[in-house]
Amino acid sequence: MYDEQSPKRLGVVVGGSLSKGLTVKLEASESVEDLAVGRYVVVHGAAGKRFFCMLSDIALDNTNPAVQNNPPDMSDAFLRAVYMGTIAYATITITPMLLIDENGQVMPVKTIPPHFTDAYSATEQDVNDVFGREDDKHFHVGAPLELQETKINLNLKKLAERSIGVFGKSGTGKSFLTRVLLCGLVARGTAVTLIFDMHNDYGWEVTSENGYNVKGLRQLFPEKVTIITLDAESSKRRGAKYDFEVRLGYDEIQPEDVALLRVTMNLSDAMIDACYTLNKLWGSAWVRRLINASVDDVQYVVDNSNIAGGTLNALQRRLQRFERWDFLSEESIGESVQKIVDYLVNQRKSVVLEFGRYGNELEAYMLVANYLTRRIHQKYVELMEKSLGDDGQKPPNLVITIEEAHKFLEPQVANQTTFGIIAREMRKYNVTLLVVDQRPSAIDEEVMSQIGTRVTALLDNERDINAVLNGVSGAASLRQVLARLETKQQAIIMGHAVPMPVVMRPRNYDEAFYNALTSPSSSDTRAFSGGKKARF
Amino acid sequence: MNANTEALVGRVLRASTRGFDCGAHSRSIGDHHNFGAFVKAPITNDSNTYAVGLIYKVEIKDDQLISELVMGELVPDNILRDQRDNRMIPVEIKVLNVGYYDRYGFVPSLPPRPPMSLADVWECTPAEVDSFTHSLDFMRLVLGAAEVPSDDLIAAALWYTASLHEDRVAFMTRAGRRLARELSHDLKRLAHVLSLIRP
Repeated sequence: MYDEQSPKRLGVVVGGSLSKGLTVKLEASESVEDLAVGRYVVVHGAAGKRFFCMLSDIALDNTNPAVQNNPPDMSDAFLRAVYMGTIAYATITITPMLLIDENGQVMPVKTIPPHFTDAYSATEQDVNDVFGREDDKHFHVGAPLELQETKINLNLKKLAERSIGVFGKSGTGKSFLTRVLLCGLVARGTAVTLIFDMHNDYGWEVTSENGYNVKGLRQLFPEKVTIITLDAESSKRRGAKYDFEVRLGYDEIQPEDVALLRVTMNLSDAMIDACYTLNKLWGSAWVRRLINASVDDVQYVVDNSNIAGGTLNALQRRLQRFERWDFLSEESIGESVQKIVDYLVNQRKSVVLEFGRYGNELEAYMLVANYLTRRIHQKYVELMEKSLGDDGQKPPNLVITIEEAHKFLEPQVANQTTFGIIAREMRKYNVTLLVVDQRPSAIDEEVMSQIGTRVTALLDNERDINAVLNGVSGAASLRQVLARLETKQQAIIMGHAVPMPVVMRPRNYDEAFYNALTSPSSSDTRAFSGGKKARF
Repeated sequence: MNANTEALVGRVLRASTRGFDCGAHSRSIGDHHNFGAFVKAPITNDSNTYAVGLIYKVEIKDDQLISELVMGELVPDNILRDQRDNRMIPVEIKVLNVGYYDRYGFVPSLPPRPPMSLADVWECTPAEVDSFTHSLDFMRLVLGAAEVPSDDLIAAALWYTASLHEDRVAFMTRAGRRLARELSHDLKRLAHVLSLIRP
């Protein structure tokens, strides 16, 4: 680690272009092994201008290719000192991201520095000039690589006003990243969130991979977060303090809710059409009636509609799986949606819906998430339309968090689900998504293009990398960075909430983090020295 | 610069802007005539400008008597000593110009004019060598001189210069890196020169 206050000269610009990046010949004294893609480099141009760049590639070069055929003896210290940096040297490619003018004003970069301009490692001052300082609107989410005392601050307002994507391979810490983002939104009151908590990761205490217990949102913000559950038994067993148990009536399930399960439950187009026909024929009790339908009932439907008998039987067998789910009752027994909306809109509380044992059943997760979201979104649309002309009546920004997001947003279903609609219409109705997923390539391209801020841990599948970088400026250089992130504790943030893509080491989710969140005056965690650290 | 306090190498026999030859009595030959030593001589009609060069060849001439004595058998020692010490056996010292200095300082380039015949040739002082070799730019002239054994000459000059530095390794490393840049097109030659100067 070097001194973050004073710039350290790395080398000199020897070529390059705005589109392909600048080539910097490294100083002989600079060890190529100490560099890493994703690190920030600042080129000090003329008249006090600074070109804020990201290191995107590292290469070895030589002045004479013949040296490769007969390499010098590098065990000889003298020869090593002579050859390194002269005949054999390293170059880095840095991509200009932003221009900081002589007044510290940050602006998009539209030109490049001239030949032989000095390039330096970014200092704390450089990073702060770009990412601003932590305040009510900016939330500290981590530190750039090599600058551990510097803060990357997300613009929370911008973060919430467009959909957010958290991507990464399994085990790369998506849940921890998501938790940090959610903490920021909740702590600063930027938005309320509705979290469909598939694996009970967010509401109450969980055990991290390294064995430490980490607090859930409800424990950190008891006044701002409420837990509701689909599986009261599971919540009780874990000691999670939930407020009510969500029950859905069979009579509340509509064909649109089933249509979302097209891929997951292997429903054909004919079966989906049959759902609509049955709904028309039997009314709101169509699901229950189909599940309990006798051979005669089926025959009656076949005779009085255009549904084939085979289709109806197949649909019946699939919907009979619903009977395994205790959260479905014969009739609606509570106004779960209204209660949730009341928490979100009137009490301005975030809601974590724990799925308990149903988290392992993707069909249940999707049915409930889509069921609730469709109705809550509808309420939001009504509230927003009522509030036209009176901003004071506007409901708070709502960020809906879903996991395994590609199941909701894959091309086959994205056009039909509320999640697809929310992702596309963005902030029009003050509802956005926070999608957590390990297969971004499976998400509909149009939806991906509407995700404003992308937080990405390691991805090594080429298609996933392409999907995340699609539409991002400087994608070619970021590709190298993304594919080389460490498996844990590194992520790249790009998009709407940050002025430029940033590779960061996220904050530790530990006592210091809790204190910084809950302490009204302190947002600085540097002074903290104790506490167990849970790293993602 | 006070030339009188320095060791006299000889007097100029013939000269050009590329270099000059000087002669000295065999009796006066010493360390200051070493191969690779830095020497200086005033250029023609300018007492403020000195050509600076490196000795690249020291040649002891012969004559008919010496040829006969060499072939002679049983030549008494006193005759040999007398021939060496008292006879005028000319020694010719060849110098390659690698720069010059004037009232403004050292310039690592060929002098504007050659020294005049019979001009005194002096050994450069350690301070002058140190100052002149600060930039190491003179090495280009040596490396590019086809008429001299440039690899050995530069090694000798660098060894002499290194002896003036407290940190010889650091100086040789700096010189080696400069050589690497100058000889990057000829790695075999570079490897040879580096082997000559490895501290």
